[in-house]
Amino acid sequence: MSRIGVFVCHCGTNIAGTVDVARVAEAMKAEPGVVFATDYKYMCSEPGQQMVKDMIKEHKLDRIVICSCTPRMHENTFRKMLKDTDVNPYMLEIANIREQCSWVHTDKEKATEKAIALARMAVAKVGRDFPLFTSTIPIHKKALVIGGGIAGIQAALDIADAGYQVTLLEREPSIGGRMVMLDKTFPTLDCSACISTPKMVEVSAHPNIELRTSCELEDVSGYVGNFEVTIRQKARYVNHDICTGCGLCETKCPTKVISEFNQGMSERRAIYKSFAQAVPAKPVIDPDHCRKLQEGKCGVCQAVCPLKAINFEDKDTTFTDTYGAIIVSTGYQLIQWQDLYPEYGGGRFKDVISGLQFERLVNASGPTEGHILRPSDQTEPKDVVIVKCVGSRDPKKGKSYCSRACCMYAAKHAHQILEKIPDSNVYVFYMDVRTPGKGYEEFYDRTRKDGANYIRGRVAKIYKEGGRLICRGEDSLLGRQVTVEADLVILETAMVPADGIGEVVHKLGIAMDADGWVQEAHPKLRPVETQTAGVYLAGTCQGPKDIPDTVAQASAAAAKVCGLFSKSEMETSPMTSKVDQSKCCGCGHCEVCCPYKAITLVEIDDREGPKKIRRTVASVNSGLCQGCGCCAAACRTGAIDLLGFTNDQILREVDALCQ
Amino acid sequence: MSVKRDENWEPQILAFCCNWCTYTGADLAGLNRMKYPENVRVVRVPCSSRVNPQFILRAFQKGCDGVLVCGCHPGDCHYATGNYFTRRRFMLMQRLLEYNGIDPKRFQARWISGSEAAKFRDTVTRVSQEIKELGPNKKFQEEWYSEGGAGNE
Amino acid sequence: MSSIIEELQSTVKKLLEDGTVGYVIGWGATRFPDRTTPVFITRPEDAHKLVWNHYCVNGTAKYALDDRYPEKKIGIIIRGCDSRAVNRMIQDNQLKRENLYLIGIPCDGKENPVCEGCQHKNPLVYDVLIGTPVEEKINPDRFKEVAEFEKLSQDEKYEYWAKQYDKCIHCYACRNVCPACNCKECYADQYRVGWQGKQNNRNSNQVYGLTRAFHVGDRCIECGECERVCPMGLPIMRQTKKMLKDINDLFGDYECGLNDSRPHVLGEFDLQDRDEFM
Repeated sequence: MSRIGVFVCHCGTNIAGTVDVARVAEAMKAEPGVVFATDYKYMCSEPGQQMVKDMIKEHKLDRIVICSCTPRMHENTFRKMLKDTDVNPYMLEIANIREQCSWVHTDKEKATEKAIALARMAVAKVGRDFPLFTSTIPIHKKALVIGGGIAGIQAALDIADAGYQVTLLEREPSIGGRMVMLDKTFPTLDCSACISTPKMVEVSAHPNIELRTSCELEDVSGYVGNFEVTIRQKARYVNHDICTGCGLCETKCPTKVISEFNQGMSERRAIYKSFAQAVPAKPVIDPDHCRKLQEGKCGVCQAVCPLKAINFEDKDTTFTDTYGAIIVSTGYQLIQWQDLYPEYGGGRFKDVISGLQFERLVNASGPTEGHILRPSDQTEPKDVVIVKCVGSRDPKKGKSYCSRACCMYAAKHAHQILEKIPDSNVYVFYMDVRTPGKGYEEFYDRTRKDGANYIRGRVAKIYKEGGRLICRGEDSLLGRQVTVEADLVILETAMVPADGIGEVVHKLGIAMDADGWVQEAHPKLRPVETQTAGVYLAGTCQGPKDIPDTVAQASAAAAKVCGLFSKSEMETSPMTSKVDQSKCCGCGHCEVCCPYKAITLVEIDDREGPKKIRRTVASVNSGLCQGCGCCAAACRTGAIDLLGFTNDQILREVDALCQ
Repeated sequence: MSVKRDENWEPQILAFCCNWCTYTGADLAGLNRMKYPENVRVVRVPCSSRVNPQFILRAFQKGCDGVLVCGCHPGDCHYATGNYFTRRRFMLMQRLLEYNGIDPKRFQARWISGSEAAKFRDTVTRVSQEIKELGPNKKFQEEWYSEGGAGNE
Repeated sequence: MSSIIEELQSTVKKLLEDGTVGYVIGWGATRFPDRTTPVFITRPEDAHKLVWNHYCVNGTAKYALDDRYPEKKIGIIIRGCDSRAVNRMIQDNQLKRENLYLIGIPCDGKENPVCEGCQHKNPLVYDVLIGTPVEEKINPDRFKEVAEFEKLSQDEKYEYWAKQYDKCIHCYACRNVCPACNCKECYADQYRVGWQGKQNNRNSNQVYGLTRAFHVGDRCIECGECERVCPMGLPIMRQTKKMLKDINDLFGDYECGLNDSRPHVLGEFDLQDRDEFM
């Protein structure tokens, strides 16, 4: 038989002013299992807590009910108190007779009756409590960063500098991401490559960082502190342990391929480094275009390689490692505007380019060595139209959100054109100009003073006439149609999540929003965490943002990881789901509704009569389970139950309420 | 059980509230000293998706006149997706109960966030009023045949 | 008909002879001409005991649940409804397809009122098909009865069901025959957690009836076995069909046990689901 002690708090007059606390205590004495009940001025005070401890000893109490303020306030206080006693800290229930009784009611009689009912519910529930124990899980102090753009680089460096091991995963042959493709960064106009490439080199040289390029996430299992991650190393056909990156192979390769890095505006070879400062500074073979791999002929690179580093037999390999934390920094790509905007030529006009293409055009290491030249005829454009919000803020065709960085880089592009091409005219079609950032508004002002013509309105159509592009649109401030003849049109297109983000999200068991961006745990208070403990977010995989915000978020995610790694083990809440495998029929209805992928179906040995069988049952990973109880309500047989809020306990509460 | 025919009859209302939103909202109502009827009793659950539809039946069986299930707004669930399951389950449950003769007003679900103290107050006040007008619930109530009660032990 | 019986018997005989299956579940004759009984044929020489006629009403699929870990494949003679039961039990992880050898047989309706509304007379899944497929027809009145009942007042509805549950003898026949009732241990049999009373009275029966409807309603294959076996003639399917109707109305077209049925209609959600709880 349980020995329940009930303690009713006055909370000064907060409770006692409206509720007859002595009567509540008196009423509880009649409840089954209650061996002691009293009231006291302040239960949470030192003497109040001491009284509970004394009464536990005196009356050999094994369960405690405290009628006081909300459990959200002092449940932990009283649990801590019980740690010093013989009573298990989870053999405690709180009846909320302040926030949900004395403070919201005025009629003393009725409030007292309600307080008695609430106390009775708590007594009924505590009677079905059983001891729960927090367990600790070891933390494997190695982090995995998925995506080697500036966010991943920054996060990896921060964690590595704090003294922890990091693996940086990148699916492309080189890290650097989008930032290294940019020419200058707003608003300071410092050279993007000059500030990002040193960080890339630092990553490759850092003793705590294991750099894994041409790698993809294959599988993730486990939970915070102990993720088992399988990584697929794609075949590179070049042995990077031997290769010195001399580059001879690249010069001899006969196959020319459109360069992704230069956004299709130059060519690379089938064996290639993405760009000059690539890290690692070693080439890979593009198997889709290599003649040897496609047709079995050629093999020139293998013949010329002085170190015999080329291996056409190379295969994808997988390897598995354990990580304590994972940072997702998979970044963004630009929206495929060609399919969405046939009125802008749909990609038919060579001189209608994206902002990222312009970055390569204006970059000294780009296809034109920094001269702004029209892709069609390599002449210098005089009249340039910049169209903002292509795909952004356009729920009908593109995305409803604002891509945040475009206003500023459009201003930067305008500035660069005006600076590099004397007598040029720049027209910027815009919906609004959004410049929330340090020095941003000033930069925009400066661009306008430089001579950029800002026209408020959307471009409705772009067509070709002679050698020029005619942009027809609306000037909504003047309320009239405008037509601008241009030599070059730059479309500042929307950011969308990187290809393949869905798979990463699925493997990690985290959530995406409707636009495909990774969902943070809380938009205000947990912006770099995900709903899966131990998985963090950095950069544009979470939503469009500029470089300063990306780097800030990366450092924030790294700080979260370092905080996690500062302990050698972690306490887990014992209020998780638990499967009674003898009842479980393995139907998997719990598995599908678990938001944390904490439930898996496993096979166990069992007997059916004399026969030994393998039976499927559900199994809860208590490291992943966050204790929502969705599974418990989905289970028809009640085989899975939530500790601390069991079916039995809730039914008792309901029964007690109606007594 | 009290006699439920007198003038001063007060309904018995049970509210399952999720810990992160509605329970917090109810606490905030207290903090702001808002007033609502005494006949609402809250059972705290971690998530509205924890509420098994059988709990609702049990409440009616034991003499509740109305049951509320409250959780975070869709999209705001502390556990990301719990309340989407709540939504499906209880839309069906409410209809099934109605099909069996229980007025939909007697079983309702509502989204009330941690900041919506006033919505909590208004909701429980309105539900209480609605159920007062409906009168005591006799449907699905347990009959006590023997001394041993419902025989659930 | 007779050639189909011959084909059926010879197929079963062969399957038993060559050891493909351990036994075959089908229908056998009784001493009443208008009754058949489920039979388990274990020996090839008994294959002639199988019958196929207008009175083969019993569902065959659920018997397989009593032998979840067979040494040899279980042969089951399945009609359209039985094939849906098999599909549903596979979706619920209760049966493994590789443990089953399905002998499909198109069915033109049996001595069972539920057959009139049948939309899947031909087996949806089988290893061998006896006879030739029959014509399928859509049942426009699938939820007519439910829709009619919905029009009653709340008190009329309650009265109707209360009378029905007064008749109920709490025998669990509906549960035992239902392919969607496949828990290892039914909640109603548990006493550690007092889910509900076990006595036979109106309230216990009501709670059982509603809980059963909610437990299986989202997976009901509309075979009507519950009603057929009910000794007191309760319209049990009227409850589960209500669930199905609402699922169709709220979450899109839905029929259980088809080869491409959504397996967990309550274990999934759509962000765009209707929201009545604002």
